[in-house]
Amino acid sequence: MTRIFHARIGAVTTAFFLTAVTLPAVSQAALELVIGARQVVKNEPVSTCNTKARTALNSVFLNAGEVGSGDTGEWKAFGAVDSEGHSFSAGAIHCYPLDDSYLVTFTCAAQSPPSPDTATALCTKLEAAFNGGKAEAGTMKRESP
Amino acid sequence: MTLLLCTRSFAPAAVELSTGIRHVSDTGGLDDCSAKAKAALDAYLTNATESSSGEWLATAQNPQAQTVTAAATVRCYALPKGYVVTFTCAVQIPENPYGADALCLNIAHKFYGGALSSLAAMPTPTPVPTGCSPANLVGTWVSDDKPGLTLTADLNGGFTDNDGVSGNWGLRGMTVTLTYYGEHTLTLSADGKHMRGGGYNFTRKC
Repeated sequence: MTRIFHARIGAVTTAFFLTAVTLPAVSQAALELVIGARQVVKNEPVSTCNTKARTALNSVFLNAGEVGSGDTGEWKAFGAVDSEGHSFSAGAIHCYPLDDSYLVTFTCAAQSPPSPDTATALCTKLEAAFNGGKAEAGTMKRESP
Repeated sequence: MTLLLCTRSFAPAAVELSTGIRHVSDTGGLDDCSAKAKAALDAYLTNATESSSGEWLATAQNPQAQTVTAAATVRCYALPKGYVVTFTCAVQIPENPYGADALCLNIAHKFYGGALSSLAAMPTPTPVPTGCSPANLVGTWVSDDKPGLTLTADLNGGFTDNDGVSGNWGLRGMTVTLTYYGEHTLTLSADGKHMRGGGYNFTRKC
């Protein structure tokens, strides 16, 4: 009985070891684009959204910029570049004014690997950074996902 | 009313993101926007799906790279009168044959009307070599001395054995490197039909 048990443990251990050694095959870099959260923030002007968007993008990515000229409310930034100037992640925040509030959406992309973060993880970070970790109950409605 | 602010990426990027196209319609509702979003995405990408109300995502795969290299989102939001919709696209360069800006512009124009340009076609899949070419190991290899052991090698340097365990192969000249329960060096025969060494003997079916 003990011998059978040890043999089984040995077999399982061997199988685990061999699997661990063998399975890391070539991993294919894949592009991932993620629809992040959509929020309606009440009693705040869209200029606040723009300020928060820049800050949030700069905390997760680099060199956040407003697309186009003027107050477009369309922001994007890219992740750190490698030695050849290639970036493997990016994020966008759209701010749109409503009557007494604004609409904000988050969208993220990543090529993983080599990006250490998935697009989903990046958008989670982006949303958290935008909200500063202290979204006020009743003023912010997180609609999706 | 359409805000069209497509810009190139800030830096030469492996991931290219295009954003800045926003369209506001004074008529129609969320259902109208969603129907147009799905149609516009399906025109250029595949499998447009709604992740939540009015939010659409679709992707395209490069058959040669065997991975997703293009994707786009169309996000609709209902207004008291009409809706606002934004378009965001991402592509993986250089695997994708067209840029994110071109993709987004076409999707947006398909949505609300406008000039459409032709996007470069995705490359066709590389045909799988047949026969016993000494230039690669693609095919099914049967062990000469380990009953039941077979390896099925693909074009991308990977293989799977009869138990579903995966490994990698490399070929330089006639020297084969198999990463399979460790690394093994074997020699490929001149006719490409046999490889031997490192404790393994295989014959290729061809």
